[in-house]
Amino acid sequence: MTNNRKTVTEDDLHAYVDDRLDEARKAEVELWLRDNPDATAEVRQWQAQAAALKTMFSAYATPREGDDELLKPAGSAGSSLPQWRKAALLAASLVLFLSGAAAGVFGGHLLGGPAPLESAGGLESLPGQSKTAFLVYASEKRHPVEVGADQEAHLVAWLGKRLDYRLVAPDLKPQGFSLVGGRLLPVNGKAGAMLMYEDTAGKRLTVLLGKNPENRETSFRFESANALETFYWIDGTIGYAVTGELSRERLQAVAEECYRQFES
Amino acid sequence: MPHAPDEGFRAKGATPPSTETFESQVLSLVPALRRYSRSLAGSDSDGEDLLHDCVEKVLVRRGQWRGGNLRAWIFTIMTNLYRDRHRRSGLHPSVELDETLGLTAQELSADPLESTRLQQALNALIPEYRTVLMLVVIEEYGYQDVADMLAIPIGTVMSRLSRARRQMAVQLARNNIVSLRRPK
Repeated sequence: MTNNRKTVTEDDLHAYVDDRLDEARKAEVELWLRDNPDATAEVRQWQAQAAALKTMFSAYATPREGDDELLKPAGSAGSSLPQWRKAALLAASLVLFLSGAAAGVFGGHLLGGPAPLESAGGLESLPGQSKTAFLVYASEKRHPVEVGADQEAHLVAWLGKRLDYRLVAPDLKPQGFSLVGGRLLPVNGKAGAMLMYEDTAGKRLTVLLGKNPENRETSFRFESANALETFYWIDGTIGYAVTGELSRERLQAVAEECYRQFES
Repeated sequence: MPHAPDEGFRAKGATPPSTETFESQVLSLVPALRRYSRSLAGSDSDGEDLLHDCVEKVLVRRGQWRGGNLRAWIFTIMTNLYRDRHRRSGLHPSVELDETLGLTAQELSADPLESTRLQQALNALIPEYRTVLMLVVIEEYGYQDVADMLAIPIGTVMSRLSRARRQMAVQLARNNIVSLRRPK
């Protein structure tokens, strides 16, 4: 690392993130970062990455039963492939076979806990399904919805019953959107619901709700594709996705409002 | 095979004195090796597979070990195995570098979707970048130690570390996360 007191190099920033600097240099880098917000943002990102990676892999550094089997020399008695090895080979070939179709497979089996494969794979498709629903229905002039906003009470009771969930149609008037109506549609192969809203200029957005087999909570995330923005999250037994051809800021405000008004 | 120095390793779990048998020393390193193999592999099963191949190779090559840091010696073997497997399988995911979205410091949590996203970002790294990132971040080796283990100049270690971090940031930014909790 350089000892130049005036200049902080990128190597210094990495060493700072990795805690490889001595106290004096560390203090200098911290001082420099105060005047360099862009570098600070990047450093924070790297720190968050490092912390997340450590969390993700720390659980693997534990001894396991059968570890001594690893050290049995090949060819000795009982050196045929142990059970886990067979399973691993089978699983590996399956992964290779499926990898083209589902990138999520590689993300599975994390933290040695219960495999989040199915649910994660299912959720990955939620924003995709939401975008499709938006593209199909939001452009529809005459029949964008099955049940209109004039029958809102009936709409939410009906869709809520199919979802087995106390559905409300969020009030998005403060965000400039009023309810157009909703429809029943398949989400993850089960009965799901779509609500549609539009603003005074006729710009529409859709809110998709689908059953989530595992009861859990996730953070909020977004996906962009062309001009379409989608925010999605899981809260308890329901997965949600909000899609619109809006700025991310505006759609995020809507999604946050939906999150507040939907009950878990 | 570069011989990493005994001194200067930041990583815990230094090799015990050679009063123990070679096998028992390797056995005591298995948990650390499991973590490293898993951090390089794309899945649990691939990680266990790599670990198994590595231990097998270590036993075959035990005669080549000239003393010194056993852990670093085995890590180098593991790294080479990983690189060779990756080349053979042709599993080189292509990485397009999009412009980085406006990033804010995000609390990356143990959220299951977040882990999936992180794993996908890792899997998109080429083996050379991933190896350096894991040796530095997960195994906490010093930069010079990594250079010695991989037989590359320290400048290359730094540039690979930098590229790994930036590519991860781009990948993670693709599906960024907004932390949000309903007010109580």
